[in-house]
Amino acid sequence: MKIVVCIKQVPEVTNVQVDPETGTLIREGVKSILNPFCEYALDHAVRLKQEFEDVSISVITMGPPQAKDALLRCLELGADDGILVTDRKFAGADSWVTALTLAEAIRFTVPDYDLILVGKQAIDGDTAQVGPEIAEILSLPQITYGIEVGLSSSKKQVRVKQEVERGYEVVKATLPALVTCSKGEVVRRAPSFEEVLTARKKPIRSVTADDLGIPVEELGLKGSFTQVVKVFPPPEKKCGKLLQNLEPDQAAVEIFNYLKDKRFIE
Amino acid sequence: MHEIISHPLPQTDFSKIKCIEGFDRIRSEYSAYLCDESKLTPKPFNFLFFPKNEPELSTILGEMQRRKVHVTIAGARTGLVGGCVPADGALISLELFDQVQEIYYHTDCHEWRVRAQTSVSLKSLETMLRFKQFTSFDQSTDTLVKQNFAQFKEDPDHYFYPPDPTEMSASLGGSVVTNASGARTYRYGPTRSWVRGLRVCLANGEYLDIPRGKYFASPSGQFVVWNSKCEACNVTIPDYAQPKTKSTAGLFAAPQMDLVDLFIGSEGILGIITSVEVALLKKEEKVSIIQFLDSDEQAVQLTMALRAEKRLQLDFLEFYSGNALNLLRNLQKTEPSTVGMPAIPENAKSAIFIEMSFNPHADHLDFSILEGVVSSCGADLARSWAGYESRELDRFKVFRHMVPETINSILAERKKQYPGIHKLGTDMAVPDEHLETMWALYQSRCDALGLEWAAFGHIGNNHIHVNIMPRNMEELEKGMQLYAEFAKKTVEFGGAVSAEHGIGKIKSHFLPLMFTPAQIQQMRSVKQALDPQGLLNPNDIFSAEVYP
Amino acid sequence: MLIIDHERCTLCKLCIRSCPFGAFFVEEDLLKVNESCTLCGTCTNVCRFNALTIERKLASSEELAKYKGVMVWIELDDAAALPKTKKVSLELLGKGRQLADDLGEELIAVVLTDSEEVDLPSLGYFGADRVILCRHDLLRTYSTDGFTSVLCAVISSNKPAVVLYGATPHGRDLAPRVAARLKLGLTADCTALEIDDQRQLVQTRPAFGGNIMASIITPYNRPQTSTVRPNVFPIPLRNENHQAVIEIFSVTLNKAAIRTRVVEKNYIEEGCEESIENARVLVAAGRGCQKASNLELLRTLACQLGGGLAGSRAVVEQGWIPHTQQVGQSGTTVGPDLYIAAGISGAIQHQVGMSSSKTIIAINKDPEAAIFKLADLGVVGDAIEILPRLSKLIDNQ
Repeated sequence: MKIVVCIKQVPEVTNVQVDPETGTLIREGVKSILNPFCEYALDHAVRLKQEFEDVSISVITMGPPQAKDALLRCLELGADDGILVTDRKFAGADSWVTALTLAEAIRFTVPDYDLILVGKQAIDGDTAQVGPEIAEILSLPQITYGIEVGLSSSKKQVRVKQEVERGYEVVKATLPALVTCSKGEVVRRAPSFEEVLTARKKPIRSVTADDLGIPVEELGLKGSFTQVVKVFPPPEKKCGKLLQNLEPDQAAVEIFNYLKDKRFIE
Repeated sequence: MHEIISHPLPQTDFSKIKCIEGFDRIRSEYSAYLCDESKLTPKPFNFLFFPKNEPELSTILGEMQRRKVHVTIAGARTGLVGGCVPADGALISLELFDQVQEIYYHTDCHEWRVRAQTSVSLKSLETMLRFKQFTSFDQSTDTLVKQNFAQFKEDPDHYFYPPDPTEMSASLGGSVVTNASGARTYRYGPTRSWVRGLRVCLANGEYLDIPRGKYFASPSGQFVVWNSKCEACNVTIPDYAQPKTKSTAGLFAAPQMDLVDLFIGSEGILGIITSVEVALLKKEEKVSIIQFLDSDEQAVQLTMALRAEKRLQLDFLEFYSGNALNLLRNLQKTEPSTVGMPAIPENAKSAIFIEMSFNPHADHLDFSILEGVVSSCGADLARSWAGYESRELDRFKVFRHMVPETINSILAERKKQYPGIHKLGTDMAVPDEHLETMWALYQSRCDALGLEWAAFGHIGNNHIHVNIMPRNMEELEKGMQLYAEFAKKTVEFGGAVSAEHGIGKIKSHFLPLMFTPAQIQQMRSVKQALDPQGLLNPNDIFSAEVYP
Repeated sequence: MLIIDHERCTLCKLCIRSCPFGAFFVEEDLLKVNESCTLCGTCTNVCRFNALTIERKLASSEELAKYKGVMVWIELDDAAALPKTKKVSLELLGKGRQLADDLGEELIAVVLTDSEEVDLPSLGYFGADRVILCRHDLLRTYSTDGFTSVLCAVISSNKPAVVLYGATPHGRDLAPRVAARLKLGLTADCTALEIDDQRQLVQTRPAFGGNIMASIITPYNRPQTSTVRPNVFPIPLRNENHQAVIEIFSVTLNKAAIRTRVVEKNYIEEGCEESIENARVLVAAGRGCQKASNLELLRTLACQLGGGLAGSRAVVEQGWIPHTQQVGQSGTTVGPDLYIAAGISGAIQHQVGMSSSKTIIAINKDPEAAIFKLADLGVVGDAIEILPRLSKLIDNQ
């Protein structure tokens, strides 16, 4: 039983600051991390591995060479091997080309996969597109926003509890299939220091553009259908009134009067 | 050189300085200024000043001196011993002294230094260093300041200010005047080790610029401070020796000491720090490891083994006792998410928390020395949690704070039934060789009295916070007696009764345990020389009654 | 053009059964395709032997100009007794109308349903010139495979210049699938859309958690497709004089093509709260609320004000409230008249989801909290202390 988890390394966006003059991101001091939703996807995979004996987990990422750090984190948390899809020719890929590249890389490295898990979205781009696009390219059934991923006892079917607008639905599909993952009910694991050390002995293989056989003009920026034409800081909002150093009683009265004033209370 | 000259400051119009007058108004509109984290019951005071600059500060001091009104100084009000809670008179908040003034490379000492006003918070300093963004420099008209900043930005490395007293909203000046320490003191020493210079406003309204390494006490233990009117003030430093542990009890003294060290940790009784120069250190990547163990004794053994292995350089070496882990387990049962960590393993009966340098990108990682030490104590690295990304380190840090917070909330609950109840948390450190005995004493005495307790903290510095949680007034009484017993034993072992929280107003009764009346009188003499009217921070360290 | 690899083809005829246009036939024991093929891609997806591929060329500008009109996928609230158009679809009709007018082309609404009860004329009243109705029993509830297949067929036979989807869970499931099948560019979560002087769609969206905005075009192929967050654009005025032409699109869909099956539904009873997307008043909880039980205080206030309870991502991940009530980049975008943020620091990811609220009141202990920059009224203090007192004041009056 082979599970492939597609992951992405992202800047820790809570710390991102924008240069007010150029409107571009200040990269200085911003750490790269494993996208949290990808970590949840891995969580689901590791749970399946704990439940079923013969499960192996391959993690795959497309990115610059330093994306290896994100693979290492996955190896610490229980993945068995890593695949780093890296080539300068991949640079500038939009979600479509990213999906195309990853799909081909999966076909190339783990052709006999049973289940592909991806995070529901990445916190830098937030497009939530790459997962479904990979599923389409590989002609797989897809289930999005999964919070519980289970297998039938025969391991022929996947059973996913997914978030929908009004609550939850449980959806089944026959393997191979792709599931995009949200946070499950498990509390995140912390690897032991021993796992941190042994992760560095697990295999990570590199895949380049030549390995995939996709024409160069269909890769990276060249192959992208969308093009960013302008980047700018979001508009500033005006500041309202700020009340400080009030006792809770006073504060409640202030808010009460404000609500009355604005007719939210009759 | 043991002689130094103080310089006058221009005087401003006192009536134009921002001042809130009258206790009723202060209490209703500025209640946050009544107290600090000690939660000491506030006493009435009449003035709350917000000076914008040194001339305003000096003018306030002159005016208060004329009116014979005591002055208490407040920074970020994060202290735990009531140092900035006024006993009476006036409170001066230095919060408008919030500019970073300079960052430059000291070529002789090969280190980057930051000079900043006293109220810059440790948190904002950290953020500015992390992003290498200092807005005050962008707006500066001083070309040298701009040039130095440009050089800093070009430096490919990142730098940080090593003292990490946990409470990052503390002000830089506040951390200096209390000689703050924390977990990282294990490797980097307390704040004192990082201060390279101070500017101090004296009670007479004049200021001293004191770089480290320029003014030393004479062999007979004297400093002479000349004021601008050519009047000399003789300061005789106390002749006691510092304990062989970290300590924040009383004034610092040492033969031929640097003048800067007299003000560091002086809790504001000798002068007002308006600006600070500190050294920075190159940032390295770190790994946090929580190693689970079978018993508290094993934790003590592991601590000693880690300390003995000189090839290991740990940033900190912290401790959770078995009963502290139990508190967290209970919290995980009711509010698993607040703990933000996986379930604590059932078989974990104690834990050691370390942090050390770690390069996650290295092709080859050799931690065999650590593995060796850990397994020699019968422990297993597979029974640990580790994290090294910045958000992981933050997560571990939150976990570290969870024990004291949990204890505080348990006591807040008990206070509802017994309003007089409070927690009893020790802050005592002993020299290395007494760790084992001291721990055995803590454990056996608390258990013998049937008290509920938990211990955590800086075991690497033999500085364990034993927290007793009384369930009724009788237990409170028992606990207080036990506390005094621990303090006495600590002094016997040559330790410090206040290792990091300071004396302030709530621990002054401990001072006589560590110092003889003659030694305390020596401290008072220093105060008397520099602040003859007893204007500054009355009741801090020792009571103000002796002053007119 | 569709390329058939006869070496690989086993004549299993699965493609013939699944083609929405009936374009396949078998002649002399070989699979053939006729001119009704629209390159919608359904067949390449169902073929188990990789015998079918579509060769797409980069289109010339004349080629691009053949694509006309703005198409909006009308999402129906299928949980309601009668199928009801979702609010975001009406918002898209408003925006789509503007874009269509700027292009001087038509606005097309596409409805996928099994029902005969959908209020189609209303779609005209809200701006559509033409309504394409795709009706099939298998379209009763949403399925990725079923909806993708039908929508691809509609798009490839109508050749619109622009396709818009609501960025709802289903919209975000469907749009990338369609885009990948038809090899189209897709821009997610747009907050602004406009037509530039070259008649291209300029799509603006927040990136890096909302820290920056990016404007994106799709220069090489058509249609240009976008998903749009709910509550970003206003619902247009209803104009009963604007009538749409209603067109039935015949749908071919077989059950085997739908590879996922919903086996259980578990909808959250929302009590006095309606879905946060449509709420007029929201009281939102952040990490500063400290623990799950404190949220009752917020719920009480929300009920008093006739609104609902919402929360930040932190609170959802703590498990204090369900994901259906999460506001922000990875949750729902809301636009209530009143938004009370209790103990929310206001990370930019949260702001993205609530900044279009009309009135914002923020309570937070940290005077530096970013939320105060957005607030009409900010109060520095502990929400858990203040809110029960506020509830009491409201009760007493």
